[in-house]
Amino acid sequence: MAHPSQLGFQDAASPIMEELLHFHDHTLMIVFLISTLVLYIIVAMVTTKLTNKYILDSQEIEIVWTILPAIILIMIALPSLRILYLMDEINDPHITIKALGHQWYWSYEYTDYENLEFDSYMIQTEDLGPGQFRLLETDHRMVVPMESPIRVLVTAEDVLHAWTIPALGVKMDAVPGRLNQAAFIISRPGVYYGQCSEICGANHSFMPIVVEAVPLEHFENWSSLMLEEV
Amino acid sequence: MVPSPILLQSSDILAPTVFTINLLMMSFNLLGILDVQNTPCARDSVLYGSAGALVAGVGHFLATSRVKRSFDFGVGSFLLTTLGTWMFCRYQNAKLRIQHRMVQEGMKNKVMYEGTKMDPTKKADRSSRDNQIDNPGSTARER
Repeated sequence: MAHPSQLGFQDAASPIMEELLHFHDHTLMIVFLISTLVLYIIVAMVTTKLTNKYILDSQEIEIVWTILPAIILIMIALPSLRILYLMDEINDPHITIKALGHQWYWSYEYTDYENLEFDSYMIQTEDLGPGQFRLLETDHRMVVPMESPIRVLVTAEDVLHAWTIPALGVKMDAVPGRLNQAAFIISRPGVYYGQCSEICGANHSFMPIVVEAVPLEHFENWSSLMLEEV
Repeated sequence: MVPSPILLQSSDILAPTVFTINLLMMSFNLLGILDVQNTPCARDSVLYGSAGALVAGVGHFLATSRVKRSFDFGVGSFLLTTLGTWMFCRYQNAKLRIQHRMVQEGMKNKVMYEGTKMDPTKKADRSSRDNQIDNPGSTARER
C-alpha cells in the first residue's frame, strides 16, 4: 500500500501491474539517459570557448537528431502497445461484481448467484481502531477470491466518480448511465486500497475503496455470512 | 458488521509497511528519478556504463590528449554501454520471469491434479507403460 514520501508505484499485486512496473522502469531508464545527455550538452555549451556565428545548417546532425528520437520513440511505443493490448484481452471471468459510485460512498453488488449488495462507507478518523489507516478504511470491504479472473462493472448513480486500485493497476471511470468494465486477477492475498479518482463534490477525498483478496473457501464463507447479515 | 474473514487485518499491514518504508528510505535516486537500488538491472547497468565511460574517456585522452573530445567519448560510451547492458539484463530478466511463472503454474497444477487422471507425472508413467505394451517382446528379449 501507499506509504509517506513515496515516489514510485506500489508493489504489484496483479500481472498487469507487474507489466506496467517493468514498462515504467524501461521508460524511466530511457528518460534518465536522455536527461544525462541533455545535462552534458548544457554544460558543454556553457563552458565552450568555441563560437561560430555563421553556421547556417548541417545535414549530418539534423539527420542524427531526427532518426535518433524516432528510434527512441519506437523503443518506448512497442512495449507500451503490447501492454495496451494485453489489458484488452478477452478473458473469462469467474465472478462479476458491480461497483456503483454515489456521493460519497461506493456500493457493491455480487449478483452472479445470490443478490448480495452492500454499501462501503469510509470509517471516520475518530472511529478508527489501532493500526487502521486514516481516510482509507471502510466499514465493508469488497472481498474477492485471489488468483481468479474478476470482472468489475463500474457505474455511478449521480455524478462522475472513478474506481481505482493502484496496486492492481486498475482505474475505471464511473459514469452515470454507462457500464464500464475492468478486469483483473489478484496474484496474492492481501488488502488493497484505492481512492475515488474523479472529482465528485465536497467529500470526493473521503470515499475510499478497499479490496480484500482471499482464498476461495474464505470468500465463500464471507459471502454466506454477508447474505445472512443483509 | 461481518468481521473480515481473513488473513489480514490492518495491524498486520503496519509492520511490513514500516519495514518497506525503512527499505525505501535507503533508496538512492540518480538525477532524482532513477531508483538504482530497487529497480532490477538499474544498478548493474549504471555501474557498467560508468566503467565503460571511464575506459573510453581515459583511453581516448591517452591516445589523443584532447580533453573535451575525451569527455564527449566518455559520455557517449556511458550512454551506449548503459543502454546496451540495460537491454540485455532486462531481456534475461523477462525470460526468467516467464520461466518463474511456468514453474509456478506447473507446481500449482501438480498439487491440484495429484492422484487424479490429469496428474502430469502419471501421464509420463502411463506413456512408458504403453510403450512396453506396444513392444511386448522387448522385455523378454532384454532378459
